[in-house]
This record gives sequence, C-alpha cells and structure tokens, in this order.
Amino acid sequence: MKRKSAAILLTCAMVLSLAACGNKGDTKDDSGKSASKEKSGGVTLDITTTFAGNDTNAQNFKDAVEGWQEETGNSVNDSSATSDETFKARVAADFEVGSEPDVLFYFNGMDSNSFVEAGKVISIDEIRKEYPEYADNMKDELMGASPVDGVNYSVPVNGYWEGMYVNKTVLDAASVEVPDASTTWDEFMEDCQKIKDAGYTPVAASLAQIPHYWFEFTIYNQLSPATHNVLPESVDDEHGKAWVDGIGDIKTMYEKGYFPDNTLSGTDDETFQAFLDGKAAFLIDGSWKLGGIEEATDDIDNFTVTYVPAKGDRKATDIIGGLSSGYYITKKAWDNPDKREAAVSFVEYMTTNEMVSKFAQTSATALKDGATVDESQLSSLGKSGLEMVNGITGIAGAVQDQIPTECRVPVFDGMPNLVTGKVEIKDAVSEVLTLIKDYTPEESAQ
Amino acid sequence: MKKKKLHPGQAGIFVLLSLWALTTIYPIIWVVLNSFKDKKIIVSDSFSLPLGERFSMDNYRLAFGRLDVFGAYRNSLIISITVALVVIVLAGMAAYALVRYTFLGKNLLNNLVIAGMMFPVFATIIPVFQLMARWGIVNTPVLWKSLLATALPQIAGNMSFAIVVLSGYIKGLPVELEEAAYMEGANIFQIFGKVIMPLSKPSFATVGIFSFLWSYNDLFTQTFMLRGNQYGITRLLNELTSREGTNYGLMAAAVTLVVIPILIVYIFLQKYIIKGMTAGAIKG
Amino acid sequence: MPNIYKNKKPLVFFLVPAFLFMIVFLYYPFIKNIVNSFQNIRGLGTAAKGWNDPWYLNFTRMVEDENMRIALKNTLIMILVTIVGQVGIALFLAILVDNVKHGSKFFRIVFFFPIVISATALGLLFNLIFLYDKGMINQLLGALGSKGLIDWKNETHALITMMIPVTWQYVGFYFIILVTGLNNISDELYEAAAIDGATRMQRVRYITLPLLHNVICTCIVLAVTGALKVFDLPWVMFPKGIPFGRTWLTGTYMYYQVFNVSDVDYSSTIAILIVVLGVILSKVVNTVFKEKDY
Repeated sequence: MKRKSAAILLTCAMVLSLAACGNKGDTKDDSGKSASKEKSGGVTLDITTTFAGNDTNAQNFKDAVEGWQEETGNSVNDSSATSDETFKARVAADFEVGSEPDVLFYFNGMDSNSFVEAGKVISIDEIRKEYPEYADNMKDELMGASPVDGVNYSVPVNGYWEGMYVNKTVLDAASVEVPDASTTWDEFMEDCQKIKDAGYTPVAASLAQIPHYWFEFTIYNQLSPATHNVLPESVDDEHGKAWVDGIGDIKTMYEKGYFPDNTLSGTDDETFQAFLDGKAAFLIDGSWKLGGIEEATDDIDNFTVTYVPAKGDRKATDIIGGLSSGYYITKKAWDNPDKREAAVSFVEYMTTNEMVSKFAQTSATALKDGATVDESQLSSLGKSGLEMVNGITGIAGAVQDQIPTECRVPVFDGMPNLVTGKVEIKDAVSEVLTLIKDYTPEESAQ
Repeated sequence: MKKKKLHPGQAGIFVLLSLWALTTIYPIIWVVLNSFKDKKIIVSDSFSLPLGERFSMDNYRLAFGRLDVFGAYRNSLIISITVALVVIVLAGMAAYALVRYTFLGKNLLNNLVIAGMMFPVFATIIPVFQLMARWGIVNTPVLWKSLLATALPQIAGNMSFAIVVLSGYIKGLPVELEEAAYMEGANIFQIFGKVIMPLSKPSFATVGIFSFLWSYNDLFTQTFMLRGNQYGITRLLNELTSREGTNYGLMAAAVTLVVIPILIVYIFLQKYIIKGMTAGAIKG
Repeated sequence: MPNIYKNKKPLVFFLVPAFLFMIVFLYYPFIKNIVNSFQNIRGLGTAAKGWNDPWYLNFTRMVEDENMRIALKNTLIMILVTIVGQVGIALFLAILVDNVKHGSKFFRIVFFFPIVISATALGLLFNLIFLYDKGMINQLLGALGSKGLIDWKNETHALITMMIPVTWQYVGFYFIILVTGLNNISDELYEAAAIDGATRMQRVRYITLPLLHNVICTCIVLAVTGALKVFDLPWVMFPKGIPFGRTWLTGTYMYYQVFNVSDVDYSSTIAILIVVLGVILSKVVNTVFKEKDY
C-alpha cells in the first residue's frame, strides 16, 4: 500500500519541520522569482476558501487578496465561507455541476476524494511541468497527499496539533503538578485519582459526543509515531490489538470515574464549560481550541497545554498533528489559458514563507525553512503551545482520518456502549474493520 | 352587551393565560439580556441581569462592524416577502380548487400535497441545485439571480403547508356566499377574488407569516445559493457565530437581530388575524 | 355541489401554477432521492459510487436497525404528545384568549415568541436550565434542600427532558392557526346561544368545537407530520441520540445519517419512510375526523 509508506515518510519529515518551527529563521520573500509575476491583469478568479466569518485568518486572507489584486491587476470573486457540513456539501455539489471555483482552499483528506477521483484538480507535479518553481518552498512529503492515490494536489498553509489542556487551579487544589514530557501514564493515572479524591473531575470529555481525542491517544499509546497510522488488517493483529487495548484504557478510566458524571449524557459544550469553570482538570483537544479558550476566559494564565502522557513505545513528546488543508487549482482554471497563470500566481502569493508564517502562527507548516512566529503576539497559553511544539520528538497524523465517517460509528458513537460493557470492544473494532473492507473493495485490491 | 368588569371566570382565565405568557416571554427576554453580556459570562452566569460591569455592546459592535448587516436584511426581506406573496396567491388558488371541485385524481393530489410537506430539504437540495446550475442562476456574482435561486425552492417548500392550512379554512366557509355571487353573474375568478380571498384574509395572513418566517430563518438554502458577499441575514450571522467554541454572546445578539423584523411583520399582520374584521360578512 | 363547480376548465388555471412549483422543486428531486436510496453515496453533493448490491440493501438494513426501531418508537410517543400536548394546549389557550375582553392582542403576540427564536438559542437555554452541574433546575432543587444532582439527560429522564421543550415551542404555532379558525365563527351565534341559556362550556362544546372541526383536523395533520420530521431542537439538546441512542427520532436520525455519518443513501431511505408514514398517518387522521359527526 502506497499510502502506508507515504504516511511514515510524512511522519518522519514532520518532526524536522516542526522542530524548525519557531526558530528565528530568515524569511525569504519568494515572490518576484516566479515567471507568473508580470502584470497580466484583467483576469477574474473565482476563489473559495474556509478563511471566512470568525476564522482567525479571515482578515489575513482578505488583506492578502487585496495585496494580490493590487500587485497583479487581476480581481478575485471570493466565495469563502465558514467550514461546516453544509459548506462541504456545497463544495461537492459545485464540482458535480461544473461550477467549481478556480482556486480552492480545502481539506486534503477524505473530504477531497470525490473531486480528486473525478480528476477535477491538478496535481502539483503537473503544475511544475510548466511552473517548475511552484511550491518549491514546501517539503513535498508534507504537503498532504491525497488518500486516493498518494499524489500531492494541494499546497498547505497551516496545520494542527492535538495536546492536553490543563486547568491549573484544579491541579493546585488537588496538589498535583502539571504533567510534562516525562510524565508516564501510570503517574497520570495517580494524578487523576488524586484529583478525583479532591472532589474534582480529572478529565473533561463527552464520551457520548466527542470521544475522538481519547480514541486517538490511547491507541497511539500502544504504538509509535511510525506505526500509528496503519489500519489493522484484523482485530487480532498488532494494530487490531492496539485498538482494543487503547479503547480498553478509556474503559478503565471510565470505570475509575475519571470522566465527568454525565460523560455519557452531556454534550461536549457542557464538559468544556466544566473545564473552563474549574470543575475538571484536563482536556485533550486540538490547536484550534487554543483560540476558543482564549476567548472564553478572563484568566488565560490559569490554563496551559502540555503533552498527553504516554506509555509503551510512544514518548509523551510524540504528538498527533498534521496539515489538513491546502490550495488546489482546479482543472477548469488550468484548462483556461487566461486563468491558468493567474491561478498559479495567486497560490504562489498565498504560500510564500512570509504569508504562511502569518497564517500558521503556532501551528505546523510544511515550509522548508520553517515558520517565523512573533512571540510577543502570543498569550501565555499560546506560548505554552509553541513550547510544546518545539519540544516534540515525533508526530503522527490522526488515524481516524483514515477511517471513513460511515465506518467510525461502532467505536465513536458507540463509545458509551463500550465503556459500560454493553458491547465488547473487540466486537466493535472488528465491526469497524469489516465496514472499512466493505467500503473500499476496489482500493483493497491495489 | 355589557358584562361585569371582573367576572370570577374571567380572572381565572386571565391567570392561566398569564402563566403561559410568562414561559413564552421569559426566553426572549433571556436572549435579549444575554446579547448585552460578554461571551465569557453567558454560560457561567446566564440568568443574571447585564448591569454595570456586565453590560457590554461588544456583540452588536462586532456584528455590525464586520459585515454589512443592513444589506443582509434587505436581501432577506426581498427573498422572504417574495416567498410569502407567491405562496399566498398560488396556494390559495390550489387550496380553493382542491376544496370546492370534485375531479378525478383529487385524492392523489391531496396525498401529494401531504407528501410535499415531508420532504427534508437536504434530500431535495442537490437535484434543485443541479437544475439551477443548468439555468445559470447559481454561482454567479449577479445578486438578483442568487436571490431568485434562494426564493424558488423556498416557495415550493412552503406550498404544501400553505395548501393544507388554507384548505382547512376554506372548507369551513359557507358555500352559499359563492352561490349568491354566482347568481349575480360573477364568474369563477371573480368569486375567488371577491368572495374567497376577502373571507380568508385571516388565514392568508397566518400562512403568509409562517412562509415569511421559515424562508427568513432557512439557513440551509441560503448557504447553498448565496455566495461571497451575497448575504442573507441567517447566512451572515452563521458566518459570524459558527466556529470552534460557539460564541454565545454573538449568537444571542444574532437571534435578537433576526427576531426583531419577524415580530414587526407579525404585529403588522396581527390586524388581519384579529376577530371582527371579517366575521360580519359570514352568516352564521 | 352547485353549478358553479360543474365546469372543470378553471381547474387548470387554479392548480397548475402551485403544482408546477412543487413538481420542479419537490417531486422531481424526491424521485431522485428514491433513486439515491438504491445507490451508494458517500457525501451530500457527491456522485453515486454505483448501485447497492442487493439493490434493496438499505431497506433490509432499515428493518434490522436497532436505532431506527428506537427512533420510530420515540416518534410515535412524540406524535401522541404532540397531539395531546401541542394541539390540546393550543386549543385550550385559543378558546381562552377568545373569551377574554382585554389583552387578547397581547397574548396573541407573546404566545408567538417561541417559534421565532432559533433552535440553537432555545437549545442553549434549555441546556442551561437542565444542566447537570448546575443548571437552573438543579440549583432550585439544591435550594429546596435536595442532595446530589439529578442528571436530566440520563436514560430515565432523557425522553421527557427532550419532549417538554419541543412541545412548548410549537404550542404557539397551533395557537395561531386555531385563533385564525376562531375568526370564522360569528359573535351572533354565541350571543344567540347565550340568550337561549347555554353555559360557557356548552357554547364551546356545541358551537366552537364543531365549527372549528376542519381547522383542528388540519392542526392534527400538521402535528403528526411535524413530529415525524422535527430535528433541530432535539438535535441541539441531544446530539447523536445521547444517552445510548435512547433519544433518536426519525428526524434526528435522518439528519445524523446525512451530516455525521455521510451515509446519504441510507438517509434517503429514511426520508422515504418518513414520507410514506406521513401520508398514511394523515389519511388516518382525515378518516377519523370525517366519520365523527357533530
């Protein structure tokens, strides 16, 4: 399977990239060196991105579009919107009816499969045949190859990581130290017990609604960055066992009472609020939650983010992360002689080192030179995020991104049944594997 | 006929009605009050008054500052008024025919009307979108085309409901009035325009207000058909509020902004729903 | 029927415009939806991946689906609650409002409020009211001396916690339709009855209810079909049928299949079931009401 080796490659390379992130590397301005730079003017590009509404980069994107329009004399017809399920359906429908945009900033995982399979976007390699310098400031192996054929179609900007947010007040009240890179799983469990004994909830999570993060890390704990992204062939092989044991750890924690009392009936909003209000100590979530916490609290210094404690081969500093979206140029624009050059110029403008650094902040990038972050702009929580990212030793993409949503149901939405023992974990995992096999008959033949 | 001012029965009725009114007024006050609070205290402290330090206009400043709220209002009103008017007229005609005429296939049509009420919008949107793409009215920067593309499926979506409600009402009208008009030489279209329509005013008003309401609140169709800077009010507010970690303060402000025009429309249409306007015309 | 309606030619004029709209934007798309239910579609808006094997796969799956069974059971309960709770309370309130001399305009306006507030906002409000630690109700109970917290969303309470807000929200909707119907009844009728010595209750029983018969029937049809497709408020309060899939309704389950599971073909199958049930049940309602003679 091509996808497996690509995943491992990606993993190794990501580490290097992230290590570089935050270093005060010099920002080369790549603009100007490209052939597509001359003022062509007069072309209108249809562009759709997810930089809209309340997205932290919405304003950055608007400014950048202005800048590009001024520089090239072209204009942009921007139909960006906040990403949600309806937006995804809209993008898919656009491709179906042939009214897709010329340039699209969109997810590079399963969500892109339909238009990649239909050949409606142009691969990086093909673009480079004509524009050899296209995206040459990016590491190819990090660009987020398509799950369909392992080929790069999009140029990524900002990535994500997942970590453990901590409410320090709760830890103080229970006399527990903030976990760090050296904290083992057993120590973590002891901490949880202490927190529980002090009358607090150790872990904020709604297993009923969002068990995703715990699923990811407890399985990661049975594996390593190099092997985490491999789907089990059967429930009895190494990875199948890892899944069963990982979910088993969630069950153990549930039985010990480390999750909120209403973890099987409350929503994620409710458990997140309990974390903010100082009723729960730990919260595993993504880098996108950083802004959410900053917005929701008056006392940002009360919160920090750290590594999720590890066991087995995984080190705590091996984290989950990746680059999940990028700029696509559609075939429609590519085949149009007027638009081809403008589209290339637009993507190049949007993915210079400088621009990517501005958009990415503390998150991961695929830049060869790494991103530059202005630390003075960060909150204390942002700084802990950056510190965490700088200390990582390994990174793996989320394995759940390889499971089609249709097939996740038994272990995700079924999680309450698993932790209460209503359904055997092993049965649920093998059900997922069967579903995946049924889902991709043509691909498993490769 | 003058009755005693405070009948004991009247007082009891009044208490019961007021109790229910409390449950319906409270949520709207709650939403409006919270729209003046900072998002940080809404969930943790949602049942307090926004006084002194708690008072904040930030949510409104954000809503009006970032995007063109008035433009979005205008677009939404154009869409929703169009929808309400077209639905009233076409559904009124269809309901009248379905009630008064007997013909082959009437039963089938009635079933189709009921079925039309049940179709979930996400089951029908994709074929509709494909159709409109063929007509060239979606995904264009031309505003009126996009507004039309939003209004058309909403008209169809509200048609069934309107036919059901209007049929129920027209059934209750005494057929004698129509006969009298017929005797006086009115043709069928005049009967519809001069007898049925005026008599059914309250019901038309009810149907109008609900069609307006649903069209106005329909985020899904707006998201599909309006692009870029073409905002309807719900699409605009959704852009502002939907993000990781919902901003409840902005949401409360958004709801307030959405609700106000609807209430104005409703209060305006109230006079058509009020008893006595038409009652005299009907011989009991 | 009088002679006016003997000539059927105007029918075309009256029926065609409305049905043309519905054919183009509802029936034709829904026929596509029926076709979808036999195909394999993995995301709203994406093309089908081919036909299901066997073609009726989704239908057998629906019969065996445990969640679907729960959804149907809950929806059935919801229908009963809707008829008794929503239409019943609405009728009661409408008759009361019709009987007050002052303030009827005020009540007509405020009873309308719940329908105009979005489901997200109402969901948040009710979530905060029923919040485990510590929402309005649990705080009140605490103040009254009850120890421990009650989880209003656990398996024992979930269904009731879901149905109360939904019922409450739509009372205003039926209220307005019924109030409109009451306009149809002339004051003279009541006055004549009052002179004949009929009590208030008798007037309601022998004048209001019979003359409101058609409108009540309309309301019940709307209530039944409404219960089959309701999803927004239940979904905000009980996403994914929590706890343990106990709170599925046909509407929420269909929504979940489209937007959370991306199983568009299966959701199309559920949509077909909902439409079929809606048509059958409203037939039943109409038949029951036709036979009843006042």
